Amino acid sequence: MKNRILAVLSVAVLTVTTLVGCGSSASIDSAEVPATGPDESTTGKQTDGKNLPELTTEEMTITLWDIATEEPGRPTQEAAVARFMKDYPNIHVEQVHQQNDNYKQQLVVAMSSGQCPDMYVSWGGGPMAEYYKSGFADDITDLYNKYDHPDFIDAAIAQGSYKDKILGIPFGSLSGCDIFYNKTIFKDLGLEVPETIDELEDVCAKLKENGITPFALANSAKWTGSMYYMYLVARHSGNDEFDAAYTQEGSFGSEAFLFASDKIQDWVKKGYFPDGVNSLSPDDGQDKQLLYDGSCAMMLHGSWMAGSMSSDNAEWYQENIGVFRFPEDSEAKAKGVPQDVEIGTAIGNCFNFNSKGDQAKLEAMYVLATQYYNDDTYNQMQMDSFQTPSIKGFENQVTDPNMKIITDVFFQASNVQLWYDQYLPASVTEVHKNSMSALFGLEKNGAEIGADQDAAMKAAIEEQ
Amino acid sequence: MKNESNTSLANVKRKKTAVAAGVFLLPAFLLIAIYFIYPIIDTFVISAYKWNGISSARTFVGLENWKTLIHDKNFWDAFEHNIIIMVFSIMLQIPIGMLLATFLDAGGKKFNAFKIIWFLPYLMSSVAIAFLFTYALATNGGIFSSLASIIKGTKVTIDLLGRSPHALFAVIGVMAWQYTPFYMVYFMAGYGNIDTTIYEAAIIDGATRGQYVRLIAIPLLGPIFKTACTMSLIGSLKYFDLIWNLTQGGPVNSTELMATYMYKLSFQQFNMGYGSCVAAGMFILITVIALLFQKVFVVKEDY
Amino acid sequence: MQTKTVDYKKEKRKSVIAWTIAIIMACFWLVLTLTPFVFMVLNSFRKQFDMLQQGVFHLPDPWYFLNYVEVVTHGFFGYFFRSVIVVAISLVLMLLISAFAAYPLARMKFRFRGIIYAGIVALMSVPMHVTLIPVFKLTTDMGLYDNLFSLIGPYVTFALPMSVFILTAFMMTIPKELEESAEIDGCGRFRNFFSIILPLSKPGLSTLAIYNGVATWNEFAFANTLLQTASHKTLPLALGQFKGEHALDIPIILAVLTLSVLPMIILFIVFQDKLVKGMMAGAVKG
Repeated sequence: MKNRILAVLSVAVLTVTTLVGCGSSASIDSAEVPATGPDESTTGKQTDGKNLPELTTEEMTITLWDIATEEPGRPTQEAAVARFMKDYPNIHVEQVHQQNDNYKQQLVVAMSSGQCPDMYVSWGGGPMAEYYKSGFADDITDLYNKYDHPDFIDAAIAQGSYKDKILGIPFGSLSGCDIFYNKTIFKDLGLEVPETIDELEDVCAKLKENGITPFALANSAKWTGSMYYMYLVARHSGNDEFDAAYTQEGSFGSEAFLFASDKIQDWVKKGYFPDGVNSLSPDDGQDKQLLYDGSCAMMLHGSWMAGSMSSDNAEWYQENIGVFRFPEDSEAKAKGVPQDVEIGTAIGNCFNFNSKGDQAKLEAMYVLATQYYNDDTYNQMQMDSFQTPSIKGFENQVTDPNMKIITDVFFQASNVQLWYDQYLPASVTEVHKNSMSALFGLEKNGAEIGADQDAAMKAAIEEQ
Repeated sequence: MKNESNTSLANVKRKKTAVAAGVFLLPAFLLIAIYFIYPIIDTFVISAYKWNGISSARTFVGLENWKTLIHDKNFWDAFEHNIIIMVFSIMLQIPIGMLLATFLDAGGKKFNAFKIIWFLPYLMSSVAIAFLFTYALATNGGIFSSLASIIKGTKVTIDLLGRSPHALFAVIGVMAWQYTPFYMVYFMAGYGNIDTTIYEAAIIDGATRGQYVRLIAIPLLGPIFKTACTMSLIGSLKYFDLIWNLTQGGPVNSTELMATYMYKLSFQQFNMGYGSCVAAGMFILITVIALLFQKVFVVKEDY
Repeated sequence: MQTKTVDYKKEKRKSVIAWTIAIIMACFWLVLTLTPFVFMVLNSFRKQFDMLQQGVFHLPDPWYFLNYVEVVTHGFFGYFFRSVIVVAISLVLMLLISAFAAYPLARMKFRFRGIIYAGIVALMSVPMHVTLIPVFKLTTDMGLYDNLFSLIGPYVTFALPMSVFILTAFMMTIPKELEESAEIDGCGRFRNFFSIILPLSKPGLSTLAIYNGVATWNEFAFANTLLQTASHKTLPLALGQFKGEHALDIPIILAVLTLSVLPMIILFIVFQDKLVKGMMAGAVKG
């Protein structure tokens, strides 16, 4: 149970921090004042007056790998590095943008050749644990406790941790997972936003009667179908059954998993998903396509979809797209199962550090990651592109109505369950993903995929 | 006495030939030694370890990985997919390529437009091909589904990429589409290599075009055929690109190939030790099959 | 001979039918090869939303040209010229070196010929991905990491086995008499190679130039592993600018792909003549 990244986000903590407003870095100084004084080494830094390590004055080079190849991520992150280098001219940051598709391979190649970058982006979860165990991710718990940092939400820090050691500083954004729906279709057919899974099924039936496929799902990537599975499991059993399956004290064949599998296969048989769902590719936009051309009415997807659809066509998006949280399982609720577990990621990305024992470098990287990434300018740029930073208080600054709902749902969650495919060990991930295509393809039932995933999980635990 | 001087003369000649051969082969040898030999040895060495690919610590497990490999259903399934792809690739790409080349050779310059357009698929990158075929084969608005719907009059869904046996054949079709143009060009070059006087002589002797192709050109193209088949064979056994862009081995491993399996193990699942074992196994299998093919298909080597 | 004249009419009719069938099939294949290409180009003139809403196999409505502006203003020509340099140098080297190696394999008898030939076949079987880490290590050790020219070594070497293999087959089809006569004339092996074999291998060499040229032009894995600075990257990496973790602009990507395939098409149109020209054209004179 130790190596879990699940975090408890208490509503109480939240209400307090929302009063406070933004976290430390976000509010105190909007230090966008250009550093002009003659003695700029001591004044004019945006980090002045903060409790931070004194950084070296010697020449230093930091290699940084990110996956910000495209806009708006690239300019946002390049600007953060530029602000840092302006304040610390003796430190040179070599920022390398790797392509996301091949990023994990690149890291393996670099690490195995002794060329691991000093700081690099990861997603937490299984792979980060692997980097840590192989000595490529520094434990920064002490630095984090000693010095200033943005007031990250607890789930974000938990996700960047492994066995209670903080390894990653978040700099991405939180991504919930909710159902986007076509408001126009709902209005035309007189449909209400469903609150329970039963209501959701009624909505589906109505849509189907009117010749509209309920869910736009493209499952060739498999993690897209997994969203339905994860939510049904979470609504039926909270986190309990998944946690038990993860340690194999329980099983992926337990009741909630069977419930989820049966529901999904029932929906597939009723035609609630598009034909040939396993061949449709989310990477090529075939799920959005089904929503855009009106053949489907709902899409369970990560919150980045809001930005994605808006950048495709902002007008159409605002006119037609609404969002609601995954409905509740009323039976489970009656039994006291929490209905506010959120599936998603609290960080998007985080930075891991590989200082090879060079404390000065580690401190410099800590300052860069916590004070220049995650500063006001950075966060504003993130917000402008539909990204909510994983920092307390930002839920109040969201303006897009859909993003507002998504963020609120996220912040009110009792628990954030990281996507299985990032949370599980890499070897189990592959089996889980294949299970998802077998499930939606009606090739295997819940018990069978449960057994497959159990076997993989057992093997992975033995490897530890 | 005469005989002896003859053999020594032959010896000198043989030695000279060997030296000349060595000189010609040297640059290639050097590059291969730098870039090829080490990776191959490295792969075999790593295959004896349990290693996540990044840690400085690896555990020696001897032949453990190889034992696993022999019983690994995923690997042998992938191998079977490779073999299916290989058989169909050779059966589709080579004959079609040959037909196209024959057509172009017979038509000469007037068919230049055909030649250029037929060649286009080979120039397109796998990324674009994967994207367009994902849509062309899609159930919703895809070409096949739409055509079938028009023919039948009702909405018909043809799910080519999403179901188990179909997906592999869909991929084979796309591969044939992509690679046939290369074999077309290859055979055209083969035709170009045939002495034009042979063709003229044949025609003067009253042979028809068909007879010329069947009786003269094809036998002359023997070595070219053999290499084309070998290329297609090896190419399909170590295939990676398009599959990776189109299906990533899915749905449920139904288009998993040895190379994609190896890649996932080595670079995504932190199982470099076993991944290298798969790579080494793949290397051995492909080499053996390719060499067997060389032995079985003996063509007259003229020298 | 007599039967031929008798059957002349029948032969002719047969030939007309054969040609008609051939042309119909040729046109069918034409549609098959052209359609995806056309849609690649057409979709590059659309906005992503329109493309998804109207369907991929729909004409652009409205036509949208800014994708190309976007591509060109994102350093396209830099990527382009770097690719040209790498591909040109690699091609020349790989053609020359593989022709060198193929010559003795095709036309000399020496002791280890069989083994070397088998070795070449084995090298063709090496899966490319196992070489990534060793080549990366080697490149960093040589201090060539993030240097455009670091690609040339791997590109040339990994094209060698297949190229040698093909060229050997081509050189075998060159009539033996041509070379022998040259040897009697007193030509050395090298003059023989340069003045007779190399010119006569032109069809083989041009096939190889096409094969390796296209492969190198589109090569992604090594370029992605060995280059890191944007100003050092080659064309296949240019796509990354329009593709993120959750963001993907397909029409722009298709615009990049269209622009990168154009020069290849032009080159092919210009040089395809060389492919069909009979070998005797150059040989008899030489």
